[in-house]
Amino acid sequence: QTKQGERKQYVGFATLPNQVHRKSVKKGFDFTLMVAGESGMGKSTLVNSLFLTDLYKDRKLLNAEERINQTVEIIKHTVDIEEKGVKLKLTIVDTPGFGDAVNNNECWKPITDYIDQQFEQYFRDESGLNRKNIQDNRVHCCLYFIPPFGHGLRPVDVEFMKALHEKVNIIPLIAKADCLTPNEIKKLKDRIREEIDKFGIKVYQFPECDSDEDEEFKQLDKELKECTPFAVIGSNTVVEARGQRVRGRLYPWGIVEGMHTRIFHVCSALFMENQSHCDFVKLRNMLIRSHMHDLKDVTCDVHYENYRAQCIQEMTSKLAQDNRMESPIPILPLSTPDVDTEKLIKMKDEELKRMQEMLNKMQQQMHDKEQ
Amino acid sequence: MQSYSSRHSRHMSDIVPPEVRPKPAVPAKPPNVGAPSPSSPFPPQGLGVGGGGISAPPPSAIPVPIGSHGGSHSVGHGIGHSVSHAGSHAAPHSGGHGHGGSHSSSGGSTLLGYIGIDTIIEQMRKKTMKTGFDFNIMVVGHSGLGKSTLVNTLFKSQVSRRSAGWARDEKIPKTVEIKAVSHVIEEGGVKMKLTVVDTPGFGDQINNDNCWEPISKYINEQYEKFLKEEVNITRKKRIPDTRVHCCLYFISPTGHSLRQLDTEFMKRLSHSVNIIPVIAKADTLTIEERQEFKQRVRKELEMSGIEFYPQKEFDDDMEDKSDNDKIREAMPFAVVGSDKEYQVNGKRVLGRKTAWGIVEVENPNHCEFAQLRDFLIRSHLQDLKEVTHNIHYETYRAKRLNENGGLHPISSADTQESNL
Repeated sequence: QTKQGERKQYVGFATLPNQVHRKSVKKGFDFTLMVAGESGMGKSTLVNSLFLTDLYKDRKLLNAEERINQTVEIIKHTVDIEEKGVKLKLTIVDTPGFGDAVNNNECWKPITDYIDQQFEQYFRDESGLNRKNIQDNRVHCCLYFIPPFGHGLRPVDVEFMKALHEKVNIIPLIAKADCLTPNEIKKLKDRIREEIDKFGIKVYQFPECDSDEDEEFKQLDKELKECTPFAVIGSNTVVEARGQRVRGRLYPWGIVEGMHTRIFHVCSALFMENQSHCDFVKLRNMLIRSHMHDLKDVTCDVHYENYRAQCIQEMTSKLAQDNRMESPIPILPLSTPDVDTEKLIKMKDEELKRMQEMLNKMQQQMHDKEQ
Repeated sequence: MQSYSSRHSRHMSDIVPPEVRPKPAVPAKPPNVGAPSPSSPFPPQGLGVGGGGISAPPPSAIPVPIGSHGGSHSVGHGIGHSVSHAGSHAAPHSGGHGHGGSHSSSGGSTLLGYIGIDTIIEQMRKKTMKTGFDFNIMVVGHSGLGKSTLVNTLFKSQVSRRSAGWARDEKIPKTVEIKAVSHVIEEGGVKMKLTVVDTPGFGDQINNDNCWEPISKYINEQYEKFLKEEVNITRKKRIPDTRVHCCLYFISPTGHSLRQLDTEFMKRLSHSVNIIPVIAKADTLTIEERQEFKQRVRKELEMSGIEFYPQKEFDDDMEDKSDNDKIREAMPFAVVGSDKEYQVNGKRVLGRKTAWGIVEVENPNHCEFAQLRDFLIRSHLQDLKEVTHNIHYETYRAKRLNENGGLHPISSADTQESNL
């Protein structure tokens, strides 16, 4: 390989990204987002706010008694969104019942099972013969809602995140942040960050900025990283103030401010889009406008690959023990070891074969003796 | 409570606070389909960013027109909705979102209208620019047809095997050899690792029987390599792609018709690789001779059932079909290659200088090089890779999986030989 010298004139392959782009726009994208947390944390409202949609309008809220025998369910909602010619098939995976019972032992199991099932389905599809239209239902991101009322992570929070951090990108959020003052929010964030470190929870990490990005971008990126976990507020209502109509929440003691003006110390309408009031904008920008693609990549390249590698290991060890078992998926010679290893493996194979034959002979002899 | 100024400023930086008279929050209503909701308490139009000329009503919480339609210019927003599990609510709503400051007829909250999913294209583009692209092109044809020169001309760079330091007057090899040379070229921030696979010896022997076999074997070996990487336990993030994305087949400009070797080769290989036939050294034919030759060649290709790229059966949609039909009509392109520059009409052009004039390579009146280049590089480069990956490679893979009955003992000792 040699590195080429100068180019004389324009060849035209600089259009390659556009060619790729054109095909992707035609095909459209998909994204699967899971929301988890106890009832009443504002999950549905937040999802509606993020994607400007209303996925839950006919939902029936159960009272405490009705919920006694509820187990954690997995409910999927799918929405097709199109914006500026780009189509997105958005799937929201809801987990009602999580953490609501009296005894919440292992309440995350249906959730981990669901995630594994999607991996398994993809694995089968990917290993099958006809791979034309594989449906990707893998969960790309899980928003986990931490209640703002406590002093940090509760045991169920820790256990949940540890059960899932190697299967899905977890983004922890502080829910209903409007019941906290800015100081309280800061303290809670620091506390949660500390505990995440302490318990070794691997939440989703934003990728490093490129060195050639401009300063503004780098600054934004830095702010984003220092702001986690995001303290969010969702709203299904529009508040109107001074002719502006924005999403917000109305309280007797004021309305939180809007996104353009800076007069929030005087009046107060809680507008979600106001960055000094909550991190909704940061979350939305990160989730949709800058990191959606990376979330999908990490799911494919890290979480799914880990699952797949594990799966194959289990299968090969089972098959090695029992020759009669058929492989559920088509398997080819798995790796291309070098010549020496190959020789070694061949030797061992033959040894195994001989031992098997001896065993069979012995079994036969014993059988004959008994006759 | 603040007093409310009756003077209503239009500026965003209005420091006059509104009168705070909270009303009970109204829960969000389902989005309307088409018509404004009759119960929507939206104030009359004229209120939006910056406000209108009337005193704004006190702040109130009103149902968010979620998914409501904007008669907005830019954004169309369709929302289909399906719920799986526990009662299906198929409530189709369509809506448009306003973007920016336009007013919608149903009073959509235009300020909230932009989600930002179109940015995913930009995110993707950034990522692909970082990782760069691979492209592998094979040239086939007997020696002296200008294969190396053409490839150098296409990529405006010394990328062919000849330029990699091998002697020009090499003897013709006894059998077909496969020689691959890679270069990294960059343009407009896009890095491409271009691999040119040359096939010296093809068609040069006295007896050319089966001279396509080494080529076929090479192509299948690349598929096999990729397949092995794919089924590995620990896979690389980006599997190195050495598969041949495009095979330029050089037709000798005899002026008569295709030779038997041409049809034999293309027939056998058009199902495992994208073949693009070109008429080489087209400057030995006049324009009329060229057209006639082309017609004859196309007819023969059709009669032999040779599907060259772009194959009809892989046209995705009507748009593709009409684009590709035009290209198929014009193929095979009659090309001339050159890496020498001459001065013509005050411009420096690539060309061939003969006693009777200068053949300009990029002049569409002289030859079809520019068309080939635009087709190959500027519009269908990505598609060539995709057809290779989604169709040719999948065919190979399915064949390999099927021949073992779908299961295979985990013994890496018996490595398969590549199929021919």
